[in-house]
Amino acid sequence: MEKEGNASNLFSSSSDLNCRLFRPNWENSVDQNDPFESALSSMVSSPTASHNNNGDNIVLRELIGRLGSICNSGEISPFNNNSANTSCYSTPLNSPPNLNLMRESGSNQFLSLPTFSPDPAFPERAARFSCFANTNFGGLSEIPPKLDPTKIPPPSVQENWESIPAPEKNFMASRSSTPDNAADSRENSTVSEQIPIPENGANPRKRKSAPKGKGKDTAVANVSASENSESSGKRSKSEEEKANQKASKDNSKLPEPPKDYIHVRARRGQATDAHSLAERVRREKISERMKVLQDLVPGCNKVTGKAVMLDEIINYVQSLQRQVEFLSMKLTTVNPRMDFNMEALMSKDMFQSRGSMYPSDGYPFQSPCGNEAPFPPSHGRNQRPQMENFADAASQVSSFWEDDLHSIVQMGFGQGQMQNFQGILPTSQMKVEL
Amino acid sequence: MNIQPPNSSSIKSRFAVKFVQAMKRLSKRRGMGDRYKRYRATRAAARVSLAAAVGPERAWSRAVLRRIKKRRGLIGRTTTNPRRNLRGLVPGGKGMDYCSLLSETAHYITCLQAQVQVMQDMLHLSSP
Repeated sequence: MEKEGNASNLFSSSSDLNCRLFRPNWENSVDQNDPFESALSSMVSSPTASHNNNGDNIVLRELIGRLGSICNSGEISPFNNNSANTSCYSTPLNSPPNLNLMRESGSNQFLSLPTFSPDPAFPERAARFSCFANTNFGGLSEIPPKLDPTKIPPPSVQENWESIPAPEKNFMASRSSTPDNAADSRENSTVSEQIPIPENGANPRKRKSAPKGKGKDTAVANVSASENSESSGKRSKSEEEKANQKASKDNSKLPEPPKDYIHVRARRGQATDAHSLAERVRREKISERMKVLQDLVPGCNKVTGKAVMLDEIINYVQSLQRQVEFLSMKLTTVNPRMDFNMEALMSKDMFQSRGSMYPSDGYPFQSPCGNEAPFPPSHGRNQRPQMENFADAASQVSSFWEDDLHSIVQMGFGQGQMQNFQGILPTSQMKVEL
Repeated sequence: MNIQPPNSSSIKSRFAVKFVQAMKRLSKRRGMGDRYKRYRATRAAARVSLAAAVGPERAWSRAVLRRIKKRRGLIGRTTTNPRRNLRGLVPGGKGMDYCSLLSETAHYITCLQAQVQVMQDMLHLSSP
């Protein structure tokens, strides 16, 4: 493949340059990186980017950008600006200086520039370019910049990768295995990369969809967890779509995220990323709400699965509504005796929650005075003028009880919902005076 | 996006006030005897009082209040009418997306529970 040749050429040609640039200056700041970057760019641009290259470059840029965001948030932009995606390939495998450079400078460019294995392994990897671009390279690009300064990586890449401290160690371990797995199938390499991906690996999702809102952390966690559990890299697109469509209403939630995430990576789709991310966010929201509902509905703790939960919720809501109906039916028969209900009701509610109610303890509502007759009429009288205006306007059209309903609404809005209880206070004081 | 869970006691007090007043008004009406109409009116009053107590901050209460204003078939709603569908049960559930439907259902369940408690208390108080 021409890519192999290009890559190897780049590698061989850039190694000298890297030696020159890095060895003396690898402790320095970004300035040193720029000449290197430009040199790399020039090197990179010389091998003509074929269409395949471009496509892969886009993918690589994407993957690198995503994974580079583990370290910093601003990494991708410089990387993209450089258009030096292919510089990743050409980055020489002087791993210690490169990695140290990344570490010290913290520059975005070098963060995203992966280091290749030494010469013998590189052509082999280059031979696997297609899958490399999709999978291995993504793994390579996961090299985080934040290397432990104390740990100077040994020359070999594998060891470099392994020496990287804890959060990225998983990446490194996987990556070290990727050269070995270069000869393996695409799926396996995908698996080996993705299994140890920590939650940070899904940060690009978080970053990309930051405006998408909350629930992202759980989405990220689920994504990483799902990756760990998923072993197959190849899924049919239709299968995923079916899963997504099903996810909305019912059935289990767990199998879908793994398919979704793995599928995204395998399909190297950027547009679908947004969709699947949105789907994931939505699914996370739905599962959140379902958990809340599960707490509300009694007897739902043992139930798992959305469909059964939904049935339980529906049953519960129906039973509550039927209960209200039944109680209202009973209340119609006892209606006449409701005059003294108010204060007793209020006292009951107040006993249940002291803090939220009106704080006054010596409030007449709690007094044993059962003569509440003055209260409602006075209160009703206050409201009646307003209500009657409204009722007169509407009485021609509607049945009589709807006027009552409207008055219920009017009453509340007139007093203000939050102050409904306090609105009664002055009238009850009137009662006391009486 | 999640609004605060409802404060049960405040809803209970507000609902109790409104509902009792509605019931009083209902009892004073001469047009209804001990009939099915009174029952339906009571049921409607309960529903409306709950929605009014909740206020316009929730989609389902807004839907209920809207129905009153439009003078649609609020009275005719029975619990057997809606199918086995959450959208049919929660007021205003037809025009919502699934996520908000679930959150509205949660709030609605809380309010229904408060309503049931208040009405039970009223029953126990009125006929000890």
